[in-house]
Amino acid sequence: QLGFRVDLSQLNRRRRERRFEHPSNHRGKGGGVMEELPSITVSQREQFLVENDVFGMYSYFDSSDIATQKFMVEIQRDKQLDYLMNGLRQLGPSFSSLDANRPWVCYWIIHSIALLGESVDDDLENNAIDFLGRCQGSDGGYGGGPGQLPHLATSYAAVNTLVTLGGEKAFSSINREQMACFLRRMKDTNGGFRMHNMGEIDVRACYTAISIASILNIVDDELTRGLGDYILSCQTYEGGIGGEPGSEAHGGYTYCGLATMILINEVDRLNLDSLMNWIVHRQGVEMGFQGRTNKLVDGCYTFWQVNLLTLLVSFVADGGFRDKLRKPRDFYHTCYCLSGLSVAQHAWSKDEDTPPLTRDILGGYANHLEPVHLLHNVVMDRYNEAIEFFHRAA
Amino acid sequence: MHGRPRKAYKPEEEAASAAKAVKLRSLQNQFMSNHHAKIYTKEAIDLSTKLLEINPEAYTAWNYRKLAVEDTLSREESNPDLVKSILDEELKVVESALRQNFKSYGAWHHRKWVLRKGHSSVGNELRLLDKFQTLDSRNFHAWNYRRFVVELTNRSKEDELKYTEDMISKDFSNYSAWHNRSVLLSSLLAKAEGFMPNEKIPDEYKLVHDAIFTDEDDQSGWFYHLWLLDQTVNVETPLLTSSWPSHGSCINLSGGAGCLKDSSSSKLTTLCSDLGSFPLILYFDQAVGGVSSSTVTVDSELRGNEDLVWEPVSNKNSQVSSVWVAHLKFMSSEPCFPKEYTVKVRIGNSPGIVSSRGCNFSTPYEFVFTAHVHDTVREDSQEVVVSWTDGFDIWDAQSKDLNFLVNLDQQMGLKWRQEAIEEEIELFRALSDSKIGKLTLARLLMAKAMISENGVKGVHYEEILELYNDLMVLDSSHYHYYKDEHSVASLHKVTSSTESLSRHLFRYRDMNNSVCLRLNNLSLSRIASVEKLLFVQMLDLSHNELHSTEGLEAMQLLSCLNLSHNRIRSFSALDSLRHLKQLRVLDVSHNNIGEHSVDTTRYLCSSPLSNSEWTEDEVGRQMTSLVTKYWDAYFVLRDLNLKQLDIAGNMIAGDEFYTLVPQVVPTLVWLNGHRVRS
Repeated sequence: QLGFRVDLSQLNRRRRERRFEHPSNHRGKGGGVMEELPSITVSQREQFLVENDVFGMYSYFDSSDIATQKFMVEIQRDKQLDYLMNGLRQLGPSFSSLDANRPWVCYWIIHSIALLGESVDDDLENNAIDFLGRCQGSDGGYGGGPGQLPHLATSYAAVNTLVTLGGEKAFSSINREQMACFLRRMKDTNGGFRMHNMGEIDVRACYTAISIASILNIVDDELTRGLGDYILSCQTYEGGIGGEPGSEAHGGYTYCGLATMILINEVDRLNLDSLMNWIVHRQGVEMGFQGRTNKLVDGCYTFWQVNLLTLLVSFVADGGFRDKLRKPRDFYHTCYCLSGLSVAQHAWSKDEDTPPLTRDILGGYANHLEPVHLLHNVVMDRYNEAIEFFHRAA
Repeated sequence: MHGRPRKAYKPEEEAASAAKAVKLRSLQNQFMSNHHAKIYTKEAIDLSTKLLEINPEAYTAWNYRKLAVEDTLSREESNPDLVKSILDEELKVVESALRQNFKSYGAWHHRKWVLRKGHSSVGNELRLLDKFQTLDSRNFHAWNYRRFVVELTNRSKEDELKYTEDMISKDFSNYSAWHNRSVLLSSLLAKAEGFMPNEKIPDEYKLVHDAIFTDEDDQSGWFYHLWLLDQTVNVETPLLTSSWPSHGSCINLSGGAGCLKDSSSSKLTTLCSDLGSFPLILYFDQAVGGVSSSTVTVDSELRGNEDLVWEPVSNKNSQVSSVWVAHLKFMSSEPCFPKEYTVKVRIGNSPGIVSSRGCNFSTPYEFVFTAHVHDTVREDSQEVVVSWTDGFDIWDAQSKDLNFLVNLDQQMGLKWRQEAIEEEIELFRALSDSKIGKLTLARLLMAKAMISENGVKGVHYEEILELYNDLMVLDSSHYHYYKDEHSVASLHKVTSSTESLSRHLFRYRDMNNSVCLRLNNLSLSRIASVEKLLFVQMLDLSHNELHSTEGLEAMQLLSCLNLSHNRIRSFSALDSLRHLKQLRVLDVSHNNIGEHSVDTTRYLCSSPLSNSEWTEDEVGRQMTSLVTKYWDAYFVLRDLNLKQLDIAGNMIAGDEFYTLVPQVVPTLVWLNGHRVRS
């Protein structure tokens, strides 16, 4: 059992309209956002879900065993909300290897539900908050389960889950001050971050640390010091980014590295031309994307690489607002990324000489991508609410 | 699913797996209580072994074992046999965990931790790796671990190079082996002891040819080939590509908005600045940091330039850039006869200029130019509207006016590089019927153009352009990439000789015959060769396919720019223009600005301005709703000192926007050809 129980019969599959009528709902501001979206078909939703969940934790996916991968893929494939809700209640015994990753399971499911425009009911929400509260270490950060060592990846999953749940209770359950202490403890003198105490240093750790710090509004000079240098040392001659210095470039790490550099406002230091070249050429003859040079094309890379391409387009092709404001970084960068994205999507879907790839993929998910924050992968209106909350908290 | 077959579980398997889960749960509970009570008995440690064998992802258990080992070692340090047996036990646990999950981060990391203790036989590690790497030759954990072991044992890089060669000869498609080869060679070549690039790189070309010509569709060899090409062309140490003013040039300076009536001297080198200063531009072949008054010395009699401030022309936040600028003051208020000053610039005499990859600018460079300071002509030239449509005359350029186009010759050891590229070109001309063959040939030809001492002929560029044209047709999924490369080659062609460049230079009658560079109607999608165009003050890029002005920020002298009839989609695409302090006339009419503006109500924020500096700004306070609506325009325009702006023919253009513009740009006189009412 994965941590918190809920009776399936109590679950309301509330439509999003109902969500906004709920008196305890604090998400009023975002309401109009969803209403204005063109309705998407079930298959589009499904596709979106596939892409997003893999995006959610590529490197974890790659490193995990078959049972875990199977579960993740099933989440993505299954369009029934009941399945997701059920997953929150109880997972089969074959998922025991997820024991050290329980906040991830919460994130995959709750994020998927949010992507479908639905939300969980109050009981389930409270259960999730309580459960994650028990994963939170007394000196900051979240472990893979109650009593487990705080870990950056599970902290990222926990924070994103709580952001996705939204509301005062979820937000204030995060101990920001202690989280800042945890992040500082994970910071290494080489500029990078460790996954956990005595753990490995790599680009995933850098990304998850900075994503957390950025959402919680606790980024400071100590956390960013030397970080750009570290990421830069992981960029290979081909332009992609490897997991650690000397490693082969890899789609998942390249996303993590690029997103980190954008979040700390140092993206200009990367060789963006060669990065663009690398990503463009990760696209195989089958029109899918490879994770690494000369690996089989795999659907799960599609979102990563296209997302990478999108981030890049917003910085390279459109020139850009790179440095304007230091303070409102999150607002600013998000807007900027999105403007680039919007530009890219519309450009590609209108052009006569549109390449098939971009028409197929970007055009295909253009409608769905809007509500997701590209750098953190949480639904946009939940992100807004969190950012407002944590700016007030500062 | 990464090549793994999926299979459904049978009922009896499910029962077994349920039983396993019950067992695991009890193991976990016991482990946690041991961990929190810091119990490091043999039984407790064995329990964590069992847990990790089932679930190698249990990172808390890996940490527990580290603490347990430290605990025992602190008591048994004097017993080397016991220490070794404890550490060997750890290696065994890792090995069985890896058999369970080969990609477990925690397991690999634990192994490194044990090895660092220095009591284990490293030979075993290489044998184990050989076994694992035979099973999965692309596993990046194994390759990372291999690099770690090699580093730890000081195993010779030559031996490792041999290992990559063996792996490659077994399977040409093993890109991980190629990658490791490039990492090893890079460090061997950097040390240069017995590994001279002029000998080794040609050998590497031979090796990669085997792969490429064995299976043309295999990507690995091609990517390695690209790396080799990069090694052949690029020098790690940063070099100065160009400067303005250029060496030996003579520039005429005048204050005030008007310009010199008399033009006995070349228009190309006359700068009229109402700022009372002129920019000194340094253009490097790569982004560098550390350009300052201590690394660059400027000797001149121009007064008031003792403490020159060098600024990177890029992101404010970033202290590296390939373009650096300092503004030299000149006095023009004194009696009306020209004064001549000699300015001597020395770069890199003292260390400090460093590339973003950490290489020092090591070849000091010096250049000298003269500046004639003319009397200010008090003439109100605000009345002139720059029309761009007519008034252009062919300019009779003399080659001496354009001698700055000749490359600064700083490259070292070019001969072997040229020969290597020449050989590759011959070879790939034979293979240029495939897409990748064509692309490689085009890249080789560009490489040749970059490292040829006397430049290359236009016909050479014709071949490159032809190749990219073919590729755009053959491989439409990468159309935009080829299009951009095509634009880069076109601009290289234009700037490759004084003859070809002068075909694009015109005199503009309405502005005292100022020289205008017209690169219109070239279907350019990207800007390039800017390092050769630093002198340009008036630039016509109309009727192209540009999406962005990126690159133009280096053209610090630019005062008139025509971007009409391009594909600019937002003001953020014009961001680089904010660096152009001399820019007065801007035509962005007939683009797509505003067509897909960022709908901030739909995206995350009411506007990015919601809690930022703009509220301190007068315009921001007075026109809140307009600024919020046109925030991207506001951010660019308020940093420009424009006199003339043309923006008709864009979605954004309209009465509402026109109310905002003069408020944001108080210097504006002409908007869409009409005088702005003040």
